[in-house]
Amino acid sequence: MTNAWRAAGLTYIQYSNIAARVLRDALRADLRAEAAKRNETHVKFTPWVNGRPAPRQAESA
Amino acid sequence: MSFVRNARLLAKRGARLSLNRSYSDDMKLTFAAANKTFFDAAVVRQIDVPSFSGSFGILAKHVPTLAVLKPGVVQVTENDGKVTKYFVSSGSVTVNEDSSVQVLAEEAHNIEDIDVSEARQLLSKYQSEMSSAASDKAKAEAAIAVEVAEALVKAAE
Repeated sequence: MTNAWRAAGLTYIQYSNIAARVLRDALRADLRAEAAKRNETHVKFTPWVNGRPAPRQAESA
Repeated sequence: MSFVRNARLLAKRGARLSLNRSYSDDMKLTFAAANKTFFDAAVVRQIDVPSFSGSFGILAKHVPTLAVLKPGVVQVTENDGKVTKYFVSSGSVTVNEDSSVQVLAEEAHNIEDIDVSEARQLLSKYQSEMSSAASDKAKAEAAIAVEVAEALVKAAE
């Protein structure tokens, strides 16, 4: 009984993400569209070299 | 001479400090989620939270506690007796020694904002997803969604 999801290799962060998405999907229709925007997470990585943001090709160098 | 005076001053300050502390019967609640801040250090009477170590109520002077939130209803009773229910997806609850409480959720909404029929549809959708899941991971993911949907239906009915 204790946390089948943890036995399957999931973490609480993943659990939390799923739970939050289900809650957002169960909202009243007028709130759902706004809430659905939070389903996506965007992360942008910028490599820095010598204190400056480096161009992409610097990554392989 | 000056040592005695200093000692007296310190003792006085100490007494005042402990007096002030005993006055803090107030419980300050901060309840926030990624989508909204519901309470910001507001004084309330009681908070009931669902956690993995069981659901529990918090009053002022509660023993310091850390717990992980479970999908379910957080009930806040304000000092005037007004009761409000919120549904939280997940997150953490912290009870501090000074009777301040932080409830931090990934997503939280007033219970009136839940669409019951939508929640029921989600429940049956994820139930069938769970039974047809191919891998252990997919099955576990669907099981989480079922758990949340069940809690939603129960809370919104």
